[in-house]
Amino acid sequence: MNLVRAASRRWALRHPGQVVLSVLGVALGVAVVVAIDLAIQSSRAAFEVSTETVAGRATHRIEGGPSGLPDSVFTRVRTELGLRASAPVVEAWAASERWEGTALRLLGVDPFSERPFRPYLAGGGPGLDVDVLLNDPAAVVLPEALALDGGLEVGDSLALVVEGRSRVAVVAGTLTAADELARRGLADVIVADVATVQRFLDRPGRLTRIDLVLSEEPAAEAAVLAELDRIVPAGARVLTVGTRSDSLSGMLRAFDLNLTALSLLALVFGMFLIYNAMTFSVVQRRELLGSLRALGVTRGEVTRMIGMEALATGVVGTTLGLGFGVVLGRGLVRLVTQTINDLYFSVTVESLTLPPEVLAKGTLLGVGATLLAAWPAVREAVQAPPRMAQTRSLGEDRVRRLVPRAAVSGGGLVAGGVVLLTIPSRSLLLSFAGLFAVLLGAALLTPLATVVFVRAVLPLLGATVGILGTLAARGVTAALSRTAPAVAALVVAVSVTVGLGVMIQSFRGTVVEWLDHTLQADIYVSPPSPISSRAEGALDPGVVERLSAVPGIAGRSTYRGTELLTDDGLLRVVALDLDPRGEASFRFLDVEAADAFGAFRGAGAVLVSEPYAYRNGVEAGDRIELLTDRGPTPLEVAGVFKDYGSERGVVMMARTTWSQLYDDDRITSLGFFLADGVDTDEVEAAMRSAAGADQAVVVRSNRALREASLEVFDRTFAITAVLRALAFGVAFIGVLSALMALQLERGRELGVLRANGLTPRQVWTLVTTQTGVLGLVAGLLAVPTGLALAVIMIEVVNRRSFGWTLDMQVGGGLLLQAVGLAMAGALLAGLYPAWRMSRTSPALALREE
Amino acid sequence: MSDVVLRIHELSRHYVEGDRRHVVLDRTSAEIRRGEFVVLLGPSGSGKSTLLNLVSGIDRPDGGWVEIAGVQLTELDERERTLFRRNHIGFVFQFFNLLPTLTVEENLLLPLELKGRLDADAHERARALLETVGLGDRGGSFPDRLSGGEQQRVALARALVHDPELILADEPTGNLDPATGGRVLDLFDTLVRDAGRTLLAVTHSRELAAHADRVLRIEDGRLVEVAMEPVA
Repeated sequence: MNLVRAASRRWALRHPGQVVLSVLGVALGVAVVVAIDLAIQSSRAAFEVSTETVAGRATHRIEGGPSGLPDSVFTRVRTELGLRASAPVVEAWAASERWEGTALRLLGVDPFSERPFRPYLAGGGPGLDVDVLLNDPAAVVLPEALALDGGLEVGDSLALVVEGRSRVAVVAGTLTAADELARRGLADVIVADVATVQRFLDRPGRLTRIDLVLSEEPAAEAAVLAELDRIVPAGARVLTVGTRSDSLSGMLRAFDLNLTALSLLALVFGMFLIYNAMTFSVVQRRELLGSLRALGVTRGEVTRMIGMEALATGVVGTTLGLGFGVVLGRGLVRLVTQTINDLYFSVTVESLTLPPEVLAKGTLLGVGATLLAAWPAVREAVQAPPRMAQTRSLGEDRVRRLVPRAAVSGGGLVAGGVVLLTIPSRSLLLSFAGLFAVLLGAALLTPLATVVFVRAVLPLLGATVGILGTLAARGVTAALSRTAPAVAALVVAVSVTVGLGVMIQSFRGTVVEWLDHTLQADIYVSPPSPISSRAEGALDPGVVERLSAVPGIAGRSTYRGTELLTDDGLLRVVALDLDPRGEASFRFLDVEAADAFGAFRGAGAVLVSEPYAYRNGVEAGDRIELLTDRGPTPLEVAGVFKDYGSERGVVMMARTTWSQLYDDDRITSLGFFLADGVDTDEVEAAMRSAAGADQAVVVRSNRALREASLEVFDRTFAITAVLRALAFGVAFIGVLSALMALQLERGRELGVLRANGLTPRQVWTLVTTQTGVLGLVAGLLAVPTGLALAVIMIEVVNRRSFGWTLDMQVGGGLLLQAVGLAMAGALLAGLYPAWRMSRTSPALALREE
Repeated sequence: MSDVVLRIHELSRHYVEGDRRHVVLDRTSAEIRRGEFVVLLGPSGSGKSTLLNLVSGIDRPDGGWVEIAGVQLTELDERERTLFRRNHIGFVFQFFNLLPTLTVEENLLLPLELKGRLDADAHERARALLETVGLGDRGGSFPDRLSGGEQQRVALARALVHDPELILADEPTGNLDPATGGRVLDLFDTLVRDAGRTLLAVTHSRELAAHADRVLRIEDGRLVEVAMEPVA
């Protein structure tokens, strides 16, 4: 038996509370990071598997503009180029009541061309009756699991809503996935013949794309690409298969990074918990360690002893954290997927993916963070002088001497952080580095601020609470090695809450104001979209006509929105036929509205959104180039307008300009202006009945659309709120443990006071006054720190992540709440020690020491 | 082999407090022979503990050197001094400083384990020593169950268990009542003097000094030998 190790182990067993708190700190920190990582990875994996399964073995694809490609391109690829490894594809989103809330991918293929691409769809495959698929114009094939889930069998009819149009398909067969990956990839796919999907979409002769398998040999590939250039019409592009999915996936980068940064915050708070528990355990054992050193235990042996304790805490905490993380990840994946579906693209996540690298990263992070957090404790233990008599005051003297140094370092970090944040760069990593530097700097300034604050309130406390008040306040500075980290942690936790709160409040306020301006029409109509934040698909021309004829309408705007793949990723391009009343919905950053609309309507200029302008560095008067059906076309920017609908940016052009550039006359949504005195509800009802059964449409009043938009906004921030709560929870446990430890450590002092006649009630006063002072200091310091964080998040992080500017809005309630939160936390932490010390006999308290 | 166990030569140590330089030891020298029981008397702040720290290698002098059993501690680095301490020095502290999470017997075994001598004989030896100090039946108890006198007897046994060349005691009876202190002093006599051990004890206690072969005092930073009058 190693007695040094035994002494350490038994110490831990005698202080189970501290051990549990340390382990909990690691476990919660790791859990939050792993859960977020798993949720993000699972959404990405589901997206990739689905994209790859649908893409099959294609190496390239020919993709058309907003109106797709004519069938003839495929014929030319086959006949003129003799490219047998080519397959026509029509893709669309569909929905069905049988799978409520699931966006279905309707894939139109030519089974005879499929063999080189998607063998599971090639003629003669198990469960796939090619003849039926070709002969029945409504035939579709479903994956087995989807059919089972929808209670469908071969021969059943299936009601589908394809881009809002009601269609009835017939289940002609089921697909058996060859493996688990294919099963997951095909989970939401419905397959039909090309002609069937074209009919469903009312787009005869138009393809979404043509898949190709080109030779891997570079010269041969280049030769085919050159020939394809000759055939491919203007406005279409030949892309490698990864381009589109990379663009989609790339859209999530900022979203992922923001979530990861938030999850790391929980780990930082977890580290504080570990730091606190480990340091406390060392401070408590200062005499024991001094004795060991005097008896001949070397510094290396002490390092190993405390290091092993930290390692054991890290390993146990991390193991538990990985388990919690998986459980938490299952909950968070829903929130993450919801946000991705709301803002970016439709994805269905069937199950949580557990990539070994995420678990390995969690393990490394957990154990590494524990060892890092325990390092000051190890140093403290090693530096414990092996003197004959150990005194606590020696340690406190050293800490007091460190206060100015910590403040200088803190000031330096804040300055460094500000410098990082002002570097003209779009790097988010740089922004977060700056943000964390400011946060850490503020934490290091806390001890000095605490000392100054306590000195300032000392006379007041003495006058109001008497000698107990003085005692409580002096106790804060006398045990600075324990109080300063607790206050710092509370400041960090509360300031992050304030910062995020102000940021979300400002964001929401800005969006509300923007919606009030943007939503000028009285009624909006669009087909149902799989993505909540924007309209997709097209309205049936007949429906548009009938809706426009509804009595009471004074004017209308039409909107055609589509995604274009550009060299910088996906771009939303919009064609607007704007009613003059709708012009008020635009707020321009750099030009007068009249000038902008003059150029927009008359000279074929475009309006670009603020995020687009920020990302591409353009302003009014600049020229941008878009790939249109006429080939690459330069367009002048008439103005930059505020927009919070798309972080990737939007380019808007007049419908007349659009018609000259694209062979596409479809309309995605409509905004109607009603005549004065007309009842909106009545018109809405009339529109619903006028739309008829041909196409499902969403008719919403201005207020309903505004509410729906805010609902999406709130849903988007739901995960932020959850993470904020989790991070605060971890920090709160840390502060609770630090303050409890501090009070319990004072057992002897309180015992002496009790022996000298302090009543249990006075013990309560003493303890709660002290924790109250700590809470108040933390709360007051957290407010300016939180506001600084909010400024950074609004002016730097948001701008660099999404490219938009927000108006900072600070509610007094939020700030009061922060001070209250800090004080409540601190007072709560004092309850147990106050209760314990008031009930313990003074003799026992003295003896225990 | 020389009969001198501890040799202090021209030892100096000072502290700086603000602008003030406080000289604690000023080029002082002394020798203690094998089997001697030497007491270092002096008021608080006279430098007794500083000297003990320097002798044990816990602290380093500003000048001069300390030699124990022929080894100059000042020439050793921190780790070597620690290893030397574990092998050659036994400690008795004023506040006993027993490890609260080890049982009484384990507290005795610790120096043996550190010295790499934790074998079956070690257990025998620990138990025998506990018997000698009158605590044979308390080996399985934890220190917090023992009275102050009992704890100091355990500390004494721990200081002796690994056969150190030199035993250093810092106020060994300072925290005990006179009767208990007297019993511990008797044990010192039995275990140290009778077994031929070398002991350097720092104390205020004239009773302890009365048991010593020689009494030293620190005056103006220098060790001087004083003659003791018999205790009444």
